[in-house]
Amino acid sequence: MTWHVAEDDLRAYLRGELAPPLLWSADTHLAACAECRAALAAAGDPRALDAAWERLDAELDAPRPRLFERLLVRLGVADHTARLLAATPVLRRSWLTAVTLVLLMSVLAARAGHSTTLFLAVTPLLPLAGVALSYGPAVDPTYEMAVVSPLHGFRLLMIRTVAVLAAGLALSGLAGLALPGFGLGALGWLLPALALTGTGLALTPRLGPVGAPCAVAGGWVALLLAAAARAGGGHPLAPFTAAGQGVAAGVAALAAGLLFLARDRFDQSRGGAR
Amino acid sequence: MTVTVSASGLGLRYGSTHALDEVSLRLRRGVTGLLGPNGAGKTTLLRVLATAVPADRGAFTVLGHDPATARGRQELRRALGYLPQTPGFHPDFTPFEFVDYVAILKELTDRAARHQEVRRVLAEADLADVRGKRIRKLSGGMRQRVALAAALVGDPGFLVLDEPTVGLDPEQRMRFREVIARAGEDRTVLLSTHQTEDVAMLCHRVLVMAGGRIRFDGTPAELTARAAGRVWSSAGRDVGAKAGWRTGDGGFRNIGDPPEGASLLAPTLEDGYLLTLDGDLAEVTA
Repeated sequence: MTWHVAEDDLRAYLRGELAPPLLWSADTHLAACAECRAALAAAGDPRALDAAWERLDAELDAPRPRLFERLLVRLGVADHTARLLAATPVLRRSWLTAVTLVLLMSVLAARAGHSTTLFLAVTPLLPLAGVALSYGPAVDPTYEMAVVSPLHGFRLLMIRTVAVLAAGLALSGLAGLALPGFGLGALGWLLPALALTGTGLALTPRLGPVGAPCAVAGGWVALLLAAAARAGGGHPLAPFTAAGQGVAAGVAALAAGLLFLARDRFDQSRGGAR
Repeated sequence: MTVTVSASGLGLRYGSTHALDEVSLRLRRGVTGLLGPNGAGKTTLLRVLATAVPADRGAFTVLGHDPATARGRQELRRALGYLPQTPGFHPDFTPFEFVDYVAILKELTDRAARHQEVRRVLAEADLADVRGKRIRKLSGGMRQRVALAAALVGDPGFLVLDEPTVGLDPEQRMRFREVIARAGEDRTVLLSTHQTEDVAMLCHRVLVMAGGRIRFDGTPAELTARAAGRVWSSAGRDVGAKAGWRTGDGGFRNIGDPPEGASLLAPTLEDGYLLTLDGDLAEVTA
């Protein structure tokens, strides 16, 4: 053995207070290291020791978390939240690959001499679609079980929304770095992205988990077409001007408020008769 | 015995259809069967009692918790185990991971305590040996037991099971019945099923639904007794029977009002059920 569990960690382990990922390391190490098991036996009273052995037995019996969950825990996410996120349909590899491809194509278009408008127009739609695909009876196979669980539906929705936004915004931010003439203008998608996602969620209780994001995406495309018709050549489209960004920030804040007011509407199923 | 679930005047409409129409019931500890044809309103009733959808009218309580308030609904959900008609899974999860996920939804956040609970319910559902296999590689019967294990997390006092034995072969069904029978020893279980054998073997009480209404509420023996003196055999189809079907020996088994001198047969629970449905019997006449 090249290392041993620290004394403080052993004591925390005995008390049942050692948190992942240190807990996982200790479990794995204790199973293989007689020296640390002896130290554990010497460190506490027999009852605490029995409880610790029971926990160790249970932990060794549990499947090792997948790479994605381990990564989240290493980033500081609580292990139970990591498990909830691992069940988010949209955070699978297929979705992340699709988002990366869309961003790559719009960046390549910009680098081929076209303007960055395509990138700015498409990027806000990605988190909107991601959030729409992460919660609801059509996409979540365990939706019905989740709805009747004591964990509030709105809380689950917010956990998944934050995760999708974090992943989507991080990928979009990285893609923005690859744009020609990178500058503040390349971040023009950020506030519209928050506004569209917030509006989509706020409208979900009224229009449903499919209708709401579709309506918002349609509205965004219509707005861009109207802005393109009004803007002269070489001028940025209205949503990407300073005034447009201010409006997007206002819409995002308003949508967040409306969403909070409608939070209890996410607590029961939208499914129809069976 | 104490009433654990009490509902009065529950109503729910989808458009012009009365999915539930003035449904009142009182459940006690043990397994209660819920029989009825497709479209009778069984699943809607279970979804309302499980707080998945709200009723338009009426009220109910489960173990003293009233879902009319957000707090009551949450308390009720803490006491609830629900196996929906078509339970969905994350197919890449193992039974352990899936049940662990449901345990988190049920607010078990302490990792060690949660894993202990997951192991307990997997053992109760007889799944300890396959806890590490991907769910997509399990048989239909095992998947149903995974869903049942998830419903058992947290030792709920009220268990709602929506057609859990559909699509299972006889051996799987028998194993499933064993698990449900164990679960019903100290809980209130409401079991929706099309299988009258499930009710005969598991339930101390049975409800029959049709057209969104409760048409019968009593013991399985009382339901069977409804067909006493109303089941007979004949060599050919008896046009006077409310329902009749050819049996394995080539004769006909009839139910309804027997003709004079008919050769009466001992009734079964299914006979009583079919006679209770009455107006819907055309569907089952072969």
